[in-house]
Amino acid sequence: MSKEYIGPVGEGLYAVRTGDWRTRRPLMDQKTCRRCGICLMYCPVNAISRGADEAYSIGLEYCKGCGVCAAECPAKAIAMEKEGAK
Amino acid sequence: MTALDTLATREDQISPGISACVGCNVELTLRTVLKVLGPNTILAIPPGCMGGVGVVGWDKMSGAKVPVFFPLLDNSASMLAGIRLGLKARGREANVVAFAGDGATVDAGFQALSGAAERGDKIIYICYDNEGYMNTGYQRSSSTSKGSWTSTTPVSKEGSGGKPQHRKDFPLIMAMHDLPYVATASPAYIPDLVKKVERAMEVKEGLAYIHIYNPCLTGWGIKSDDSIAISRLSVQSRFFPLWEAHGRRLQFTVRVPKPVPVADYVRRIGKFRHLDEARIAELQAITDERYSFLEAMDRMGGGANAPGA
Amino acid sequence: MSRVDVLNGNLAAAHAARLSRPEVIAAYPITPQTPVVEYLTQFHADGSLPCQMSEVESEHSAMSILTGASLTGVRCYTATSSQGLALMYEPYFRASTLRLPIVMNIVNREMISPQTVWGGPQDSMTLRDAGWLQIYVEDNQEILDTTIQAFKVAESAEVLLPINVCYDGFYLSHMTERVEIPSQEEVDAFLPPYRSRHIILDPETPMAVDPLTNGRLLMEYRRKHMAAQQAALVAIEKADAEYARRFGRSWGGVIDEYRTEDAEYLMVSLGSVCGALRECIDDARARGVRVGLLKIRSLRPFPRARVIEALAGKKGFGVIDRNVSFGTNTGILFQEIRAALYSAGSRYPAASFIGGLGGEDLTLEIVAGAIKSTIETVDAGKIDNEASWLVRPERKA
Repeated sequence: MSKEYIGPVGEGLYAVRTGDWRTRRPLMDQKTCRRCGICLMYCPVNAISRGADEAYSIGLEYCKGCGVCAAECPAKAIAMEKEGAK
Repeated sequence: MTALDTLATREDQISPGISACVGCNVELTLRTVLKVLGPNTILAIPPGCMGGVGVVGWDKMSGAKVPVFFPLLDNSASMLAGIRLGLKARGREANVVAFAGDGATVDAGFQALSGAAERGDKIIYICYDNEGYMNTGYQRSSSTSKGSWTSTTPVSKEGSGGKPQHRKDFPLIMAMHDLPYVATASPAYIPDLVKKVERAMEVKEGLAYIHIYNPCLTGWGIKSDDSIAISRLSVQSRFFPLWEAHGRRLQFTVRVPKPVPVADYVRRIGKFRHLDEARIAELQAITDERYSFLEAMDRMGGGANAPGA
Repeated sequence: MSRVDVLNGNLAAAHAARLSRPEVIAAYPITPQTPVVEYLTQFHADGSLPCQMSEVESEHSAMSILTGASLTGVRCYTATSSQGLALMYEPYFRASTLRLPIVMNIVNREMISPQTVWGGPQDSMTLRDAGWLQIYVEDNQEILDTTIQAFKVAESAEVLLPINVCYDGFYLSHMTERVEIPSQEEVDAFLPPYRSRHIILDPETPMAVDPLTNGRLLMEYRRKHMAAQQAALVAIEKADAEYARRFGRSWGGVIDEYRTEDAEYLMVSLGSVCGALRECIDDARARGVRVGLLKIRSLRPFPRARVIEALAGKKGFGVIDRNVSFGTNTGILFQEIRAALYSAGSRYPAASFIGGLGGEDLTLEIVAGAIKSTIETVDAGKIDNEASWLVRPERKA
């Protein structure tokens, strides 16, 4: 494909830095976590990944802070904290 | 492979940052569906929320890793039918998929969709039904529930108003095209959704249709944390039952033996705030009637004891 | 080897489509185009048209299917008329702005209301600014030849635009004439297979088609689109010249001229009425009147330079429009010719005629009357700002 398009074509991924929208931040307690993966299945932005050790972690680059993971976690292992609060 | 394994290991085919509202369960649905479909997919995103938030991209960039395009509001199914024919002519195989809102499906897009269904065009058509035209500020659609506030079915100061008609039962209308596969799904039942997308992909000839019920946080007045909980209530109240059909053999995939009252669902949604008990009772009656009809079909389809149920 | 047959216009179009080896066809029947769909489905059933074919539920879906198919990079064909064209307006406009070289015959039929099924190019001429190339033809051989050439023009790298070959409903679509049908080998040698290189939906080369686009970038696409229309002026003439070399028939390219060299007056029109004009011009010539015919073949792109050239040195002209341009008091073609001449700084006396709407006959008598009236207008040095209506005298029972 030539780069000089004659028609409306897009190539390469455009990503909005949705992590900047966050007013709340999810914090996962690995000790309470039961490794069920529900947070991964229901995170709307796919920010949660499963590591080789079967542990789950939350990437904050695109996390919008919606709180779905915290609400759905059956072990209550995720808490939502105000952004900026340490 | 379990749904969790599929979702934990497959690559996300959508841009990591799209401008969907915080907590949007349509974004969740889209990412889930595309992980299952995989990279060998051509994706139609007609005008609607997912187009508006950038899944087709901006200017000279894309919003997805798979080939993606904007059909017109009313021609997703026919454009995909053409794409299928073009692929056939080139001897190529790919998933040819629409991810369309209810406006592009049950209203403006219905003729093209019904035509493609009748002809047996081999496409996977997925409707995310959030009960109206949400990305333009929530105008009513023929999928909006009875009594619902929308910006074009407003509510008076006294609380009268809202939409006078109840939503059409669109997935059943599609099933009556005698399609190889029709299913309803919910973002609160992700493993069920994953299985249904896989079944749609197994269809050899004809159109597969999946109708997903997506409560809209912004338009309906729902807190983002409750995105999935409210979706679950829509199923647990039997307001939106989950089933699948091969031809006319319909079966529930999630059985709800002890439903919660429709009021428990409706009361948590801002757009129904003005409904009094009588109007909620009316929604309960409609829900019961529609559910009995499905139960009868489920029995004819073999019910819980049917092979594969 | 080519063969000669007696064909109606619709069958000529269907043969042209078949010989051009389209890979996807989607069409919805509408009078007077209906037989085209029947012929094509029969060819398909007989195995002489081995393409993907879709019998759609509407013209909107016909054009939508072709838009989708063309986006996978394959050759596409359809045909329609009138209300069908109106229904497909939404994907029609978009096929051009996506730069998809779809070929569509338009069997010209009047627009309702009042209810009518008869001829007249109001349907396609109204859509002259939707970005498609539009060529209007006069007889059935020209339908066949031009439809084959249309694929070559549309798919040429410097054009990449969809194209209409328009012919009059009933007058051509249902009338039979001698038509020479070229052999498949001859057409294959003229028309190589098409594969899109500029835009494609293919998982092997993923791209987004139609991202949300800002106005500045949109204007860039429009500018390129307009340049492609101008490039088509050359591509149409090139295709005509190559076709003439291979098949022995030239149709003149973007315009055709008849007995214009020493003419003082030119009659200008498009479509099948040019046949009547040729007859009447011969009659007038026999009486010593120096009149010629300027036939517009390409309405889009508009052949401005060749029109100016054809009219250079003439006393004036008259235009017969089988359509109306509401709000301008004249027909569309008259407006176009006048606009082209304005840019040349020329000020010709000119007569405007509207007639033959809704299949109404433009008899030799009426056309001869228009020629006579043109000469009077031109000799008086007048420029019509209002069309004269060409009507048959009402018959008393």
